[in-house]
Parts: sequence; structure tokens; C-alpha cells
Amino acid sequence: MTSLPRTQHVIASGLVAAVGIWVAYLSFTQEPADAFLFPRMISSVFVVLALFTFGKAVLGHTKVGNGLDRQSMANIAPGLIVALIFVFWAAKSLGFYTASTIAFFVLLSLYDPAPHGAASSWIKRIAISAGFLVVMYGLFAKLLNVFTPREIFF
Amino acid sequence: MKKLLVAASIAMMGLTGTAAADENYPERPIMLMVSYGAGGATDFQARIVTMTAGNEDALGMPIAIINKPGAGGRVGWNWFATQADADGYTLGAYNIPHFIAQSIEGGVEYGADSFEPIANWGADPAVFVVAADSEFNSMADVVDYAKENPGRLTFSGAGLFVGHHIAALQLEKAAGVKLAYIPNNQGGAGAMKAVIAGEVLGGVNNLSDAFRAREAGNVKILGVFDLERNDFLPDVPTLREQGFDIDNASVNFRGVMVPKGTPQPVIDKLAEVLPTMFENGRVQGRMKAGGSPMHIMTRAEVIEMWKAREVTLKELLAGL
Amino acid sequence: MEFLLYFGDVFTPFNFGLLLIGTIGGLILGATPGLSPTMAVALLIPFTFRLEPAQGLILLGAAYTSTVAGGAVSAILLKIPGAPANIATTLDGHTMAQQGHGARALQLSFLASAVGGVFGVLLLIFLTPVLAQWALAFGPSHLFWLAILGVTVIGSLDSSSVVKGLLSGCIGLWLATIGFDDILGAQRFIFHSSVSGGINVIPALIGLFAIPQVITMFAKGRRRLNAEVLAVERHPIHKAFREVFRRSRALSIGTLTGSIIGLIPGVGGQIAGLVAYDQARKMSPERDKFGTGHSEGVIAAESANNAMVGPSLVPLLTLSIPGSPTAAVLLGGLLIHGIFPGSDLFDTNPDVAWTFSHSMLGGQIQMCIFGLYVAGLAAKVAQVPIAVMGAVVLGLAVFGSYSVQNSMGDVYVMAALGTGMYFLERFGFSAAPLVLGLILGPIAEANFIQGSMIANATSSMGAYFLTGTLNIVLIAIVVLSIGYSVWMELRHRRFITKDDAARKKEALS
Repeated sequence: MTSLPRTQHVIASGLVAAVGIWVAYLSFTQEPADAFLFPRMISSVFVVLALFTFGKAVLGHTKVGNGLDRQSMANIAPGLIVALIFVFWAAKSLGFYTASTIAFFVLLSLYDPAPHGAASSWIKRIAISAGFLVVMYGLFAKLLNVFTPREIFF
Repeated sequence: MKKLLVAASIAMMGLTGTAAADENYPERPIMLMVSYGAGGATDFQARIVTMTAGNEDALGMPIAIINKPGAGGRVGWNWFATQADADGYTLGAYNIPHFIAQSIEGGVEYGADSFEPIANWGADPAVFVVAADSEFNSMADVVDYAKENPGRLTFSGAGLFVGHHIAALQLEKAAGVKLAYIPNNQGGAGAMKAVIAGEVLGGVNNLSDAFRAREAGNVKILGVFDLERNDFLPDVPTLREQGFDIDNASVNFRGVMVPKGTPQPVIDKLAEVLPTMFENGRVQGRMKAGGSPMHIMTRAEVIEMWKAREVTLKELLAGL
Repeated sequence: MEFLLYFGDVFTPFNFGLLLIGTIGGLILGATPGLSPTMAVALLIPFTFRLEPAQGLILLGAAYTSTVAGGAVSAILLKIPGAPANIATTLDGHTMAQQGHGARALQLSFLASAVGGVFGVLLLIFLTPVLAQWALAFGPSHLFWLAILGVTVIGSLDSSSVVKGLLSGCIGLWLATIGFDDILGAQRFIFHSSVSGGINVIPALIGLFAIPQVITMFAKGRRRLNAEVLAVERHPIHKAFREVFRRSRALSIGTLTGSIIGLIPGVGGQIAGLVAYDQARKMSPERDKFGTGHSEGVIAAESANNAMVGPSLVPLLTLSIPGSPTAAVLLGGLLIHGIFPGSDLFDTNPDVAWTFSHSMLGGQIQMCIFGLYVAGLAAKVAQVPIAVMGAVVLGLAVFGSYSVQNSMGDVYVMAALGTGMYFLERFGFSAAPLVLGLILGPIAEANFIQGSMIANATSSMGAYFLTGTLNIVLIAIVVLSIGYSVWMELRHRRFITKDDAARKKEALS
């Protein structure tokens, strides 16, 4: 095994341990004590298990989990960025239906293997996106009566 | 040309959503936030009293219920005070004394002046229940036991700083004893289960739930925390009749409110229409069938009631 | 026999039509991410206003049974469990779908659901008074240990690493404490305004299961179409029938576990599927195949979560205590029509009570028939290119989590938890124990606080939580399940090298 997964394991388990220590610190310092009794119990177990895992990772004894190779990271990055922009910004400021249709179309263009040069594949992508919009609108707006944010468009 | 400009500016005013929009209110379905889970008494009653909202003689638009349960209602009311749009399309259900008591206790972002009441639909008094096979047959038996065993009389209720807890505090004060109040996180239903299963010796619960449990033969009802006996339970005496000086401060009033800052014309329209909706014969029939006592109050009456409650509760909770 | 007397009522044309609407509506609502069975039934209540009591209950009873089963559709095809009950179904069901056996997994799940469901409803009809007392035996200390048991069983279920499984459980328990404390009302760990109301279970569930799925699809990159099409095998129904009954061990373990656990108020419905899955795995000679698309896993999980439907209504119908959120909504449906459930319900309103239970029986069978039809169509879903699938799942996750409470904060929580979970999964943590921690955390905490209050007023903490047969049995199961898993892991390590483990993991993902 290369050293990449090992470093990644140290980082991941280190982060988990840091969260555990932060939780334990808050649980034992915040008031009222009664309300933090249960968090104290959990966070104690949390910290012990997290430090054990961290220790194993540092010594290179971690057995499960393959980490991420460079190729996967490169594959994930564009899609994840589009998805996060969609969720954390576009959905609210452009309106749910507009934003999700655009995100849908962009993701399709990024990951659909049909050639980018041919006009027919673009027509297909637009048609599928439009179909997606119609189904989502029918399901949530018409059938379930959910009033989603509409802001700029709808 | 001038006319056209006037028309255009009126149209612009309409678009920016001021006076013109209020006259047409409501233009789309309205949302009613209930700060308890689906199936709870507040949710159940809210669904019934709003079912005729879509009729032409009412609002002409349906009201949809949104549940935001958690922490005895704090989650929903916090959201309502800080994040809900004050445009008349977001209504909230209130429970008195719950939210006022919670705001006095602190740690929440709302108070009685964060909301504008619209109308009240129901009043559910608290009652004292014990399991059907319990040796207690009157409140005097309960208090005697508590005097012999200070702090060991366990009894359940639907949480801290809700109507049941207020009733418990009133009982402790009026009888001069120390009791062990066990708050339940699953509301009245969970507290009732604790009584029936014998986990606790007694409990404070909603009149409507207790009435049903008694019909099913599971509990005895020993007293009502109200000024008068209730129509559903004419045979059960009030606490005052049994010699304890307890008023109706714990009665759970339920009604509709909007966030502060909602346009006045919208408030006026709602305050005019909602009481007539509650008086609808079909609504009344459904509520009676469900064992839920109704108590319709107008906006002016509710404003008075909120003020009076705040004074009583501040006094009662000051000792904690 | 009285039981048969009211059977005819279910089959009048109007009532039968309602049964159809309830079943089909329930399947669609159940398969929609973000709609739990509780919400689906609550949405249908207004439609019962105009109906007779018995008719209204036919609609609600049919909808309840079929939403629970409908959740399996999105669990298997999209890896989004429709409700906590369907978590266990994703473990083997989705893997089967990835291997091209989506239709078979769905057929098995609907047949198993029907068997479990019918058994559960029969228990409800014939043993209600006996079972009611049993359901009441669980007090705060027992519910506390039961919740802890739920987390540890699932934590050690992920056989690749007990420590990481339990650690995931701890993370889930911590996430559950965010927001207002349920009893005292104090604010805890509110580090962002999106979590000021706590973490809502349904959006979290969608995020933790669906988003890692979406990112995994991204990770495969932009490959040629022909390399990705799954071999879709058409699966004749009679084969599925034979398989379900050949796997009678998993079927009976699932049905029995589901029925027993469903009775316990507050906890049962959520963990029935997972506990049955775990039991079936431990008792199976082919336990290594679990998690790799093994049919026993699907059968055990789905028979259990439908078997729990009938018994979960026992406390409601006999004691007027709703044992689960869905039962609470059904109670509302009963009350609107002026019917008070209680021990005398079958005497005072026999037409309503019997029609209700019969409609649930009828609902189970119709659900199976329509479900099998859906399964035939489902083969086509597996042919959708992964790029389209990823984008659809993302869209459904966003809309679904928003629609739970009309809250943008829920969508942010969903996306943040989901993205975090993807990376944790790459390092050997798993989503199931985390979700169980999140669901059972509040139950464990509230019962712990109530128990300690009662203990302080009456006896001592030690006596209240650690003595009594039921407490000791539950504690013993907690200790044994952790001990057994640690032992299995140590024994495994001796003859499985690192590379073997890596290869097995690869085959799974």
C-alpha cells in the first residue's frame, strides 16, 4: 500500500478525534450541568474510541477503508462543486425549480458520456432536463402542495 | 400619457407589495406552523379548525399545517419569532401558558410581544389522574401521601414550563408539600402511558386525553385545574372545590397568531374571519366528537388574556 | 365467527375503491424521499373528513401498510431509505440492484413484506389484549437500555471494524443532542443557525444515505455508456415466490422479530428492520454473504418492518396510547370520527374496529400485487445512465428534505451531513449506526433523565437502572453483542490478510 491512504487516514481520524475533544470540552464546561449530563456520558466514550482510532491510524494499523485515489478526487471535484453551489446558494436565490433544472443540466453535461460535439446529444440532455423539471413540479408543487422558495425565477 | 404614468405607478406599487396586495389577501395558500408533532392534541385540533379555510365565505384559500416539534414547543416558536415571514402567509398556533412561561424562564428568543394574537379556538384544562387500580380516590389522599413521604410522590406531565408543570407548581404551593414532578418528552400521551403502566404514582394530563383514558377504563380522574367543572366531566370536582386555592392559570389555551410586523390590514382581516371559521357547525361537530373542549375568543379578548397570564406566571415562577 | 362477519364490508365497491386509492397512494408517497409514513398518513387525514368512520379508516389503514413497504422501492433502487424502517433494506437490496437484480430484490421485498404484514395484523386481531400488558412492561430504564442496545447492535453490525461502528454510533448520539434539550429546554452545541432547532431525522436520513451515493456516482467519472450499463435480468415472479419460501429461516426470523419489537412503544418501529437483519445474519450459515447483495438480508429486513405495523397499533387500540408517531396520527383519524380507542373498542364499535383491521389485511395483499407490478417496471430504472441517476437523486434529496418542514436549514444540514458522510465512508465509518444514534439518542436521553428523576425520588440510581430481570437481560445483550463482534473480528484477523479485506471492501462499493 502506498503512503497516501495512510496519511489520509491520519487526517480523517484526527479530524474525528478533534470533534470528539471539542464536544467533550463543551459538555464538561457548559451550564446548566443537568442538561449536559447525557452529552458528558456520550462524549467520554466518543473521545476514547476516537483517540484509539487515531492511534491506530498513526501507527499504520488501520485495516478498513481505502481512502481516495487521485483519479476519484479529480472526478468528484467538478460535480461536488456544482452540487454545493446549487444547494447552498442557487436553490434559495434563483428559486428551487430553476436552480435544480440548471444543476441537473450541468451535471448531465459533465458526467453523461455522450459526445459533447454532437448536436443530438445536447438536444437529448435538454429534453431530459425539461422532463425532470416537469416531474418535480408535478410531484412537489401539485401533488404535495409544497411551497418552495421562488425568489428570482420560480 | 399622464394617465398611463399614474396607472404604471399604481402597478409598480402593486408589484412592490404594499397596500394593493393587502386588499387581495390571501392570494395563495396559507401555512400554519404547529410547534408540536403530527398527531398531538394541538396538531389534531389545528387541522380541524382550519379545514374550512378554503370556503368562499372564509378565507377562500386553504391553510396547510407545518409541524416544527421539539423541546416543548421552543423549536417552533423560536423559528416563528425569528425566521417566519411577517406577510400574513405564515400563521402560528400558540399554546398558553407554555410559550409565556418559557419566555419568563429564559433561553428563548421570543416573548409575548414577539407575536400578534388573532383568535383563540380551544381551552383544555389540566386534570390529575391516577391509575385505575390506585389507592388514591381524592386529591386529599394524594396530598396526605405526599405529606408522609416528602418528595417521593412521583407524578408525570408533558414537560417543563408547560401547562402541566404550572399546575404541578400550583398544587405544591397550595397544598404546601414537596412533590416529584417527572416531565415526559413525548407529551401528554407519554405522560399518560407512565401513569397507566405504573411507572409513576399519578400524573397531570390534558382533560381530553384523560377523558378518553377513563372511558377505556385505565385511569381515575381526581380533580380539574380550572375555575369550574367541565362539561365533559361533570362528576369530577375542581381543585378549588377540594380545598386547594388554584385558579385557571394552567388551562391550555390554543389559538392562532402571526409574527410581529405583519401588516395591520392582514391582521384585521384574519381577526375578523377566523372566529367565524371556528364557529362553523362542521368544525364544532368534529371537535366535540374528538373530545376537545372549544373556547372561542376574539383578538381583543386574547390580548387581555395574554397580559393577565404573564402577570400570574411571573409571580408563580419567581420562586423557582 | 365475528372475525369473518365484517369481511364483506371491505369488498363493497366503494370501500374496495378506497382500499385501492389508499394502497396506490401509499406506495407512491412511501417511495417519495422525504415523506415518512407519519407524514403520508397525516396528509391523507383531511380526505377522510367527508367519509364514514369505517371508510376513513380503510383509507388510512391501507396507506399506513403500503407506505412502509413503498419505502423499500427508493431504498433498493436509489439507496434512499424512505423511513428509518427501511435502512436495513438498503444494505443488501441496493447492492442487489447494482448487480442487476433490482427487479428480484423488489419482488422479494414485497413478498416478504406481505408475509410479515399479514402475520402482524393477525397478531393484532387475535392477541391484542394479551400483548397490551407486555407492551406496558417497558419503563424508562428498559427503554434506555433498549435504545443503547439498538445503537451497539448496529454499531457492531458493520463487521469490518467494531470500533469504527461504535464511533459512528457516538457521532450520531452527539448529533442528536444538538439543539434544545428535550426536557430542560437548554440550548446545546448550536454552532450555526441551521441547527438551532436540532437536526431533523428525515433530512439527515436522506443526506446520510443519498448524498454519498451521488458522490460515488461522480467518482466513476465520465465513462463510455456501454461500460456502465448494468446487466438487467428479468425475473419471473414464480421464482421469487419459491425463493422467499426457500429462505424460510430469514423470513420467520424477520416476521417474529418484527412482531415482537413492534409492540414496544417509542422504539420498536425504528429498529425492527435492523435488529431482524442482524439476527438473520448471526443465525445464517452464509453470514459472510450479507452485505454483498444476499437475498436473506432483504427478506429479513422487509418482513420485519411490515410485521411491526400490526403490533405497533396494539397499545393504541387497547390502551389508547399511541406507541409510534404514525399511531398518534391514526389516533387523530379515529378521534375526528368520534371513536375513542380503548380495551372495549372491539365491543362498542365492532364495525369500525374489524373493518379497520381487515382493511389492513386487504391492504397488505394489494400492496404485494401492485408492488410486484412496480418491480417489473423497476428493471428499467436500473438502465438509467448513472449521470442522470446522480442528478435525479440530488434533486429529490433537496426537494424531499425541504418539504419536511419547509425549511432551508434542513436542506443545508442534509447536504453537509451527506458530504461529510461520503468522506467518512471512504475511511471505514458507516452510515447506519450514525443514523441509529441520531434516532435513538433522544429516546435514550429522555428515558435516562426520567428514570434518574424517578430513581432519586424513590430508590437509588443503581437499583433502578441495574436491577430487575428485564434490565439485566437487556444489559447482557448489549455486552454480548459487542463481545461477540470483537471476538469475530479478532478471529477473522488471523487468517484474513489486509489485501483480502481490501478486496472484499472493493467488491462491496
